Amino acid sequence: MFDILDTGASGLMAQRIRLDTIAGNIANINTTRDADGKNDPYRRRFVVLAPGRADDPSLPGVHVQQVGIDPSPLIRRYEPGNPEADKEGYVSYPNIDLSIEYVNALEASRAYEANVTIMDTAKSMFTSSLRLLA
Amino acid sequence: MINPTNTNLPALTGTSQTGGASASSAAGGGETSFADSLQKSIDEVSRLQQDATKAVDDVATGQTQNVTGVMTAVEKADMAFKTLLAIRAKLMDAYDDIKGISV
Amino acid sequence: MFLDRLLNQGNAPLLEQWLQFTEARERLLAEDVANVSTPHYQQKDLSLAQFQSALRERMNLRDSSPPGAVRFEDISMDVQSPRHNLMFHDGNNRSMEQLMTDQAKNALMHTLAVELLRQQYSVMEMALRERVS
Repeated sequence: MFDILDTGASGLMAQRIRLDTIAGNIANINTTRDADGKNDPYRRRFVVLAPGRADDPSLPGVHVQQVGIDPSPLIRRYEPGNPEADKEGYVSYPNIDLSIEYVNALEASRAYEANVTIMDTAKSMFTSSLRLLA
Repeated sequence: MINPTNTNLPALTGTSQTGGASASSAAGGGETSFADSLQKSIDEVSRLQQDATKAVDDVATGQTQNVTGVMTAVEKADMAFKTLLAIRAKLMDAYDDIKGISV
Repeated sequence: MFLDRLLNQGNAPLLEQWLQFTEARERLLAEDVANVSTPHYQQKDLSLAQFQSALRERMNLRDSSPPGAVRFEDISMDVQSPRHNLMFHDGNNRSMEQLMTDQAKNALMHTLAVELLRQQYSVMEMALRERVS
């Protein structure tokens, strides 16, 4: 009964990391420079989830295997007056679609709630079985 | 109508004879079989309690996650012990009653 | 001396140590939750796996020794920092989900241990009373 809570907790942590990644994507939706100031647009990050817990992959649960960088092409917009423009006049923006990110965020938060419900159900099942001893 | 009852009688007398035979054999070996069954019950209670102890040990040291199994084992041992205690109480009361019979 | 043996038979000493462990761990987890926003705070925890293996060793020792020879009270644990590979910019290594899950598990284990111990003592009481209730 107790390891159900650990499984649920691994789900919570994985969904939280996913939500953090999505938040980072949304915050950087127009970032065209990197931390050093060079013209290197932010690329969309995504999480790769894998079954098994982080400390023991044979136990039931989920963990984040890696946070990958989306290799799809950057969005190019024609802005010849922009100092960031390349020699053809195009500026490269991050390959992030706000609606996709928002739907993913909604899904992650629903999954988080579902995990919490599972853990609550496990706890109430345990408490009711304690009445066997009373 | 008469025939079936006539044919039933031998069957009935046959069962009563065998029933009587088994009853007399039970009465003849009465004391030892009761003591035997009592001993078996005590052994059963002891076995259930050992199972319960082992189950609680397993859950305390994390070797099993089957918490409901532990609780049912503990409850069974508890009920068996209470039953044995109630039988003992009845036996003691019966003995006191017999002792109190004035001859 | 025989009272000592009477009160420490069966699972009672095991369950008592379990109760002490869960209580100590609850205290540490409460401190961790209070310090969730403190910079450079190292989370503290008692390892459940370590406690359970120490308990198992002591139990095996008790099974192979004369009755009454092996005590359970001297099982001691060290406070450690949990390793779940998280580090925040303020130097804190908390994980709210892990903290709350550990706290829930701890509370459930405590309740289970209390119920089992209560049941043990009630069986002893019943035997002393010679009546079922």
